[in-house]
Amino acid sequence: MNLPKLVWRNLLRRKGRFIFTLGGVAIGMAAFVTLLTIGQGLNREIRRQVQDLGANLVVTPKGWCAYEQISVLTGEQLPEAIPMSDVDKIRGVPGVKTAVPYLNEKTAFRNRPVPIIGVWPEAMRALQKWELAEGRFFNDVAEPAVVVGSAIAKQFQLKPGDEFTVRGKVLPIIGVLRETGTKDDIASFVPLPVVQSIYEVQGKVSFVAVQVEDLRQVDAVSLRIQEKANVAVVSDKQLLASILSIVGTVSTAMQAVAAVGVLAAAFGIVNTLLTAVYERRREIGILQAVGSTRQTLFAAFLLESGLYGLFGGVLGVLIGLLGAYVFGPYLTDNAFTASLRQSPVPSLDGATLLWTFALSEGLALVAGLYPAYRAAKLTPVEAMRYA
Amino acid sequence: MPEALIRVENVTKVYGSGAASAAALSGVCLQVERGSWLAIMGPSGHGKSTLLQIMGGLDRPTSGQVHLDDMELSNLGPAKLARTRARAIGFVFQFFNLLPHLTALENIELALWFGGKRSDEGRARAITLLDSVGLADKAHLPPGALSGGQQQRVAVARALANEPEILLMDEPTGNLDSTSEADLLKLLGSLHEHGRTIVMVTHNLAVAEHAQRVVHVKDGRIERDRFSGD
Repeated sequence: MNLPKLVWRNLLRRKGRFIFTLGGVAIGMAAFVTLLTIGQGLNREIRRQVQDLGANLVVTPKGWCAYEQISVLTGEQLPEAIPMSDVDKIRGVPGVKTAVPYLNEKTAFRNRPVPIIGVWPEAMRALQKWELAEGRFFNDVAEPAVVVGSAIAKQFQLKPGDEFTVRGKVLPIIGVLRETGTKDDIASFVPLPVVQSIYEVQGKVSFVAVQVEDLRQVDAVSLRIQEKANVAVVSDKQLLASILSIVGTVSTAMQAVAAVGVLAAAFGIVNTLLTAVYERRREIGILQAVGSTRQTLFAAFLLESGLYGLFGGVLGVLIGLLGAYVFGPYLTDNAFTASLRQSPVPSLDGATLLWTFALSEGLALVAGLYPAYRAAKLTPVEAMRYA
Repeated sequence: MPEALIRVENVTKVYGSGAASAAALSGVCLQVERGSWLAIMGPSGHGKSTLLQIMGGLDRPTSGQVHLDDMELSNLGPAKLARTRARAIGFVFQFFNLLPHLTALENIELALWFGGKRSDEGRARAITLLDSVGLADKAHLPPGALSGGQQQRVAVARALANEPEILLMDEPTGNLDSTSEADLLKLLGSLHEHGRTIVMVTHNLAVAEHAQRVVHVKDGRIERDRFSGD
């Protein structure tokens, strides 16, 4: 006979209660793990998108809010506020390697919203290293034609030679881009002057992506751009930070709610163990008469509680990971994640996993303290008085 | 005169406090010689069980002292007292008090574990003990599957697990039929012959007569102390 054996026998005495209490811990932990996993996956996906932007600086109109900055990444429709004259000025700033304008509009295609992005064809091809899966690229900087992203082509079953209608103007589809894994897959691209003319915003663009010649000069270049033109400039790092802070706030709030669930489950453990102490009072007296110390009684109940944390933690992580893969796509289905083309792949690193187990085990042990204390506090005569 | 194994000196036990207090024992003195068999008799609620519990370190006296060998039980801390209960004292109760979710064997192993035996040693000794009370074939049954007499024999085996100086029994035959009672008394008789000290509380005169000495407790005092043959 030893402590684990005694505890194990006690744990399984009331199988129903054991399963329901364990279920509480497992569900609480699972919710926590699911949200944590989705949050981390989202985070990783955002970092990748910012990397794929290919720019060191993003020039925007003054006074843009964080949501508009995020739209730079997602291809959402944006106000047309930077005059072309500014684009030329920026191109002339010393230290600027390339400055590529974007005009983000949106059209309805077969009643579905599709981003229309006005670009300089050759500059984009150089910046994004696009390759064509089908058809050809633009022959002319103002060719009235469309090149569509791979996901759009797939969704609407488009191929070169089909027609694409933007605001009543029919444009031929000339090419389909090879899959990039970024927002470019869910957009359609049209030469900038054509979009400007269709949307009647001649001489205006939404934002400008800038590559600098020397990365160490990013801040200086940023200042020089703002001196030359009446615009705001954010670096890719600032952009990343501001997006992560928004997404992070949401993730943290969701995780906090899930943590409350874990806490509630811990109270479930307290409840179960207090009931067990009450039911086993007489046995506690017998154990003391046979020679058990108070420490042994305390350890027995604490270990029983710890096992709830251990099993609950393991079950919770397994169910949580499963939940993240199954429900993740639905939970993260919003304008932003939809634009990430594919739902973020849930991800959880080893350290976080370890912390999750520690949380489950730690809470369970804390939950066991009071019942264990109550058991150890009983005197033998007091405990044996109960038949 | 043989040396005293237990010396109860002027022990008083008061439950509650103030006006609601009630004395269960008032100034009890008693010596139990090593190797003797003592029966404590008396009406219900007059302090027999309290005296037994205090002698066994299950309860503490309000005043007075209890010596087991050279140890003063009322001075021991909870941990030392628990160790003493595990190693030097064996308890047997009226309602057997076996743990219902453990097998007969495991109930005995439990006491051996508290006595400091390793798991494998404990198992071997538990099997020997069960065999000595004639229940080797019931080792893996839970108490619920045993008769009252069998449960009480398991309880005696558990009490003997750590070779205690003394067996303390509270109405050990109180819940047994006459056959089981006779079996148990035979077992106790043989333990006594082998030199074990036994103290048992009973209100069955026929049972008490197996002891060498009968002490009558009434109103928390020792009223009569009679040796067999007196």
